[in-house]
Amino acid sequence: MKFGLFYEISIPRPWTPEKERTVYNNCLEQVKLADELGFDHVWAVEHHFLEEYSHCSAPELFLTACAMVTKRIQVGHGIVVCVPEFNHPIKIAERTATLDLLSGGRLHVGTGRSATWTELGGFRANPDTTKKSWDEFVRCLPKMWTQETFSYQGEFWSMPERTILPKPYQKPHPPMWVAVTSPGTEIDAADRGLGSLGLSFAGFEEQEKKIKEYRRRIKSCEPVGAFVNEQVATTNFLFCHEDEKTGVEMGKKLGNTFNYLATQLISTREVYSSPSYQSLGLLPALRRAATGPDASEQQTEGMAYGDPARIIRAVKKWESLGVDCINFILNANEVVPQEQVMASLKLFAREVMPVFAKKPADVAAAAE
Amino acid sequence: MPLYGTLDLTKSPARLPTLGTLDTEAWALPKAEMMQLLVEVPRTSTDGLLPKAMHPALPSYVIFAVTRYPESPVGPFNLAVLRLGSRAGAHPRGFLLGAVASSEPAAKELRERWGFPVEAGDVKFLRRHDRVMGTVKKDGKTILDGALLDPQPIAGSDVQYINWVTAANAPLDGTTQPILIQVDPKYTLYKADRGKPQVSTFDAAAWNAPGLRLADPIIGTCSTVDTDLPRIRFVMDPLKPVFQGTRRIRESRVDE
Repeated sequence: MKFGLFYEISIPRPWTPEKERTVYNNCLEQVKLADELGFDHVWAVEHHFLEEYSHCSAPELFLTACAMVTKRIQVGHGIVVCVPEFNHPIKIAERTATLDLLSGGRLHVGTGRSATWTELGGFRANPDTTKKSWDEFVRCLPKMWTQETFSYQGEFWSMPERTILPKPYQKPHPPMWVAVTSPGTEIDAADRGLGSLGLSFAGFEEQEKKIKEYRRRIKSCEPVGAFVNEQVATTNFLFCHEDEKTGVEMGKKLGNTFNYLATQLISTREVYSSPSYQSLGLLPALRRAATGPDASEQQTEGMAYGDPARIIRAVKKWESLGVDCINFILNANEVVPQEQVMASLKLFAREVMPVFAKKPADVAAAAE
Repeated sequence: MPLYGTLDLTKSPARLPTLGTLDTEAWALPKAEMMQLLVEVPRTSTDGLLPKAMHPALPSYVIFAVTRYPESPVGPFNLAVLRLGSRAGAHPRGFLLGAVASSEPAAKELRERWGFPVEAGDVKFLRRHDRVMGTVKKDGKTILDGALLDPQPIAGSDVQYINWVTAANAPLDGTTQPILIQVDPKYTLYKADRGKPQVSTFDAAAWNAPGLRLADPIIGTCSTVDTDLPRIRFVMDPLKPVFQGTRRIRESRVDE
């Protein structure tokens, strides 16, 4: 089992320059500690216009900063929006290759298409075509990274023959993933040989079904890249505390705050009737889970909060379902004080991580 | 936490509809033809329109709906409504700003049963092959002229309708007071089209929304649908966040 951090970079109003800077610095401090503690990944979303929910609109810059202050931890786009109005594919290939070089080959490239009208409408993108443009992009990226020259004529973009530079540090190229929120996207991931970057908070039963289907289909995939990246990652909240009750209470506060902010976003399906957005993505589950920021009830199945023993039980369950990596959201709207986030990471590394993997001696020392 | 509306409904209760009881009977409304036009609006132009209990949508948008109801307990009528996209806690809702019904009996019942801020007027729903049109006149003046252009068939499952919230004076805990009422119709779709929304005339003040300006069109839909106006199940305190101020006054819809 691998462990990662997952950043939306949620910032509460009022948005002062100092507050924005403080939250970014807090995130970098957490990443630096996570690197020392032996966490495997740090992922950053690409979101735009989402108010308090996310200020992570330039993830390539944040991830570059992460790479510069760390040595081992792998940095991941979770995800790059593969819609031409958001990102030109040439720029994606160039930026990711540069980050892979700067990080010494530590980059993972998650891909996706955006789920909210807030974002798609903001870029005047057509929701009907995002699945198709994503499909084009993920097929082009590996070729742009690996071929001496590249030319392309597609439905959503084209280019004459040019040499796209630089090339990534990793050979043949960085591992590729796709965000899995809507039902059925795990099949898209499997059929293309992409890692399944789960971004929803579904319970064990639903996740188990998705993972089984993913494992079954990926065996006969036609990979879009030079290799198959068969990995299943899921997202969770983390708050680890010596006292179970304290850990659960803070974890619920974190989860409820995150969920409540998420449900304020306008899912594409809410306002734009389109066969391309049949599902509301992760929002229905979040709405069921979050009746308000002070709600006492919330789905806790599989949530990584509480004391170490409780969290170990949850992680073991995820492991038994076939999850390879759990990525943790550590904060939302800064409801968890930074010193408690740091203490939670240290306790998790000291008490939970050794149960799932043997770590080098210096990692154990860092957790002390 | 998210932004809240700024409208204090307790300061002007006289302009709200008044319900004699919250124990409203449901209406079945079969074979309705419903055109919805969704349009983004500048957030600043919605100031003062949304109750303090609710969150504005991000971005702000409005829903124009013009519906032909061929059957109802008060006979056939057309209804035009303007709703402001918003959130009641974690849930998407359309806060009803204004409405016009094509018959006096329909307007009276909608006001007194569900708290619609509705008046009688001239509401036309016209379906052509190249467009669906909705026009509304009040006191001889056109206050809405909207259309769904170039309708193209889509699956009914592609259309989502959000629940409504109305504001009214209603008897609760022994006193008649301003409250928010959730109106959550069911929809069984038979046919749906999608197209570009166009609003060529909009008199914001006539819809109780002075200052509201239209910006980017989002989408228009037109459907044939069995729907209803159900019994009232949830009411909300207009001043408290709805996750604190919501009360269930009736159990499930099984009793209808």
